Amino acid sequence: MKKPPKIVAALSISAALLAVLPILYLGLRLVQGFEKAIEELLRFRTIELLGNTTLLVLAVTISALAVGFVQAWLTTRSNIFFAPLFGVLAAMPLAIPSYVMALGFISLFPGFSGFLASWLVLTLSTAPFVFLAVTAAMVRADTATEEVARTLGLGKLAVIRKITWPAVKPAAFASSLLVALYVLSEFGAIALLRYDTFTRAIYNSYRGSFDRTSAAALAVVLLLITLLVIWFERKYRGDYQASPKALTKRLRVDLGALRLPSVALLSLVAIMGIGLPIISLVSWSVQGAASLDWGNLIAALLVSMQLAVSAGLLIGVFATAIALWSVRYRTKLGAFIETVSWATHAIPAIVVGLALVFFGANVTPWIYQTSWMLLIAYLILFLPNALSAISTPIAQVSKSLEEVSRSLGTPENKTLFKVVLPIAWPGIIAGVALVSLTVLKELPATLLLRPSEIDTLATRLWSATEDLAYSQAAPYALLLVIIAGLPALALNSQARRALTEVSS
Amino acid sequence: MATLVLSQLQKAFSEQVVLDSVDLEVQDQEFVAVLGSSGAGKSTLLRLIAGFEKPDAGSIELDGVGISDSSSVLAPEKRSIGIVPQDSALFPHLSVSQNVGFGLQGGSSQERQARVAELLELVELTGYANSKPEKLSGGQAQRVALARALAPKPKLILMDEPFSALDAELRTRLRLDVKAILKAEGATVVLVTHDQEEALSLADRVAVLRNGQIVQVGSPTEIYNSPVDIGIATFLGDSVLIDGKVVGGKLETALGQLTPLNTVSDGQQGLVAIRGENFYLQPNPKGEGEVIGQVFFGHDAVVEVLTRGIKIRARSNGPFAPEVGMKVTVWVRGAVNFYPA
Repeated sequence: MKKPPKIVAALSISAALLAVLPILYLGLRLVQGFEKAIEELLRFRTIELLGNTTLLVLAVTISALAVGFVQAWLTTRSNIFFAPLFGVLAAMPLAIPSYVMALGFISLFPGFSGFLASWLVLTLSTAPFVFLAVTAAMVRADTATEEVARTLGLGKLAVIRKITWPAVKPAAFASSLLVALYVLSEFGAIALLRYDTFTRAIYNSYRGSFDRTSAAALAVVLLLITLLVIWFERKYRGDYQASPKALTKRLRVDLGALRLPSVALLSLVAIMGIGLPIISLVSWSVQGAASLDWGNLIAALLVSMQLAVSAGLLIGVFATAIALWSVRYRTKLGAFIETVSWATHAIPAIVVGLALVFFGANVTPWIYQTSWMLLIAYLILFLPNALSAISTPIAQVSKSLEEVSRSLGTPENKTLFKVVLPIAWPGIIAGVALVSLTVLKELPATLLLRPSEIDTLATRLWSATEDLAYSQAAPYALLLVIIAGLPALALNSQARRALTEVSS
Repeated sequence: MATLVLSQLQKAFSEQVVLDSVDLEVQDQEFVAVLGSSGAGKSTLLRLIAGFEKPDAGSIELDGVGISDSSSVLAPEKRSIGIVPQDSALFPHLSVSQNVGFGLQGGSSQERQARVAELLELVELTGYANSKPEKLSGGQAQRVALARALAPKPKLILMDEPFSALDAELRTRLRLDVKAILKAEGATVVLVTHDQEEALSLADRVAVLRNGQIVQVGSPTEIYNSPVDIGIATFLGDSVLIDGKVVGGKLETALGQLTPLNTVSDGQQGLVAIRGENFYLQPNPKGEGEVIGQVFFGHDAVVEVLTRGIKIRARSNGPFAPEVGMKVTVWVRGAVNFYPA
């Protein structure tokens, strides 16, 4: 079989090792201290956390599914006023990191905390995932079947139940599982809103005691729950690959008397999800502008940018190597490396952070408490994102271009650099940019692993909020929305496609 | 200078035999078309010659040097064999002139530029030197692909259905252009196609590939006029098959006594293949034939006639073709092929 260039193989293998070793080490440590860990887990507290976490995951998943589905149906299938505008508004919360949204609410309503608060904030944050997936499925589905159903005597609601819903069900379920994974690994918003789930408990027991066994044991439980959800996600993801259909004129259902109430409903969601948090952050920023330490803000901005760009480039190089190997050479080893790199997909950042704390302190003390640890954490967390973004443009370079290049005297490996990479370049750059923007917003792993002298925008926001200094936190939050959230939304190809469809 | 020799080439993909003992010789500066229906193994044959696949048995020689056999395959980049793929496959990140110059190595940059300019002139695209491939029409893209393959002066050019993506009118014009360009460069060419008109009009020699085997090689006129078996006769153009018997050197058939094109011996029984254009339909109210169908193509028409219990399809001059329901007498003009049973 054909062999990839040595540099590609070396980069891929080291990325895969970096990604899995710390997690494996966490498990190993736990096996060594098995009895103590069991003792930790058998306390009532663990049951309580399990209950809290499960309740929040289920509640948010169901409500995000309901909100996202209604938004998608109203904007793509009904004659609601301003459908394109409501489409944009439905996707917008993606630009606001959930802990920023939480900050927006707390600073408006002091005492806003606990289960209901977390449920509301996370529902608003995650509904866009369902909205985008269901919109895409609704656009693909052929509305002719709905028209036929109407001629066969079904009412509007019956058509939704019997025709529309079955057509988008796979997409809706797949995106709901993504929502569940998101809630499981969410740390910032839940911690700010003081609701006790695994992620908050892990962070507190890590901070609160010198013995970290308890934190590690809880982290492993969270990891197992996550793996269970991922297993479900894998199982149900495969079966929605509807082929793109020729676009026919879309049927829009007449809402009749419900037209205005529908507008009110979507407006309410938009006001809660975007309006309130942004207004709150802007007004606090204005209040705090006079006392704001601009030096700190600029220093944090520079540190954040520096980390984001170096992490983006590092992850981009690794992801490109893995994508080249698995997509263009199709060897067994290449496919294996790709699978390993995907294994860390959706593992909560707090677990990754904790695993690296153990690994760094015990195995690699020479880089512990340096920025390298942070870069490794970002690699573990975002390599899967980068892989999915970068594999597509690399796979799209036609095989016949490679063949032509070789017939013109260019050896295989040189063809990779002269033909394949230059053509895939724009896609690779977009992937790197997306990863950099995600790194910019990262909170839990950064909190656990940052060297003590370093502060990013996210960690500054965090510490100011912990001190209840909202006017100090708000400018950081606004800055994150502007430099990370909005550009990431603009680069999100799923969002772009959905919005073009809705507005057409 | 460049001679390609394929000997006993064999290739199977997971037990499915795609090429079976293929022998073919292509002389220097010769244009050979390999004609076959889809699935006949044409693309595999090209990929073997280009060095993208390894034969299971047999060998390929170029200029007397072995370049492929079942144990070793010379890398595609070391063969000096240019390819013109079906979809042009121009490098989208490079301009037209960069595409053409891609394979030029060595020599000064002036020499390379001069060669690129020479080829762009040859394919009449000088004005497009700095355009990106996406700005080109299908026909222009194919000419760039041809110029790119010719630029390094390869020993052999392989073309894979190069005109199939183009519309009919453009195809005919481009064919003539391409033939002239290839002659001007003195190129040795192997073209594979399923389009018999393309093969017959372009090539010096045509090889017919069927089920992985080359069943006939010859000049276009030989292939068209004397197909070696009924399969090729019906594949190349629309033929009507009727029973016949050799009597006194002539063919006795239901349509009368016909002259055989090939050598026959008295007493043989078999099938006679008559092409649509060999029929002449004479309008005659007392004729035995009746027109039962007509498909009009403009310049000509295909007319279905039932005569003496036999259904024939005749090509007829478009505007003057007999209408459905008319009575006609059917004549057979020229000699026909006879295939003993």
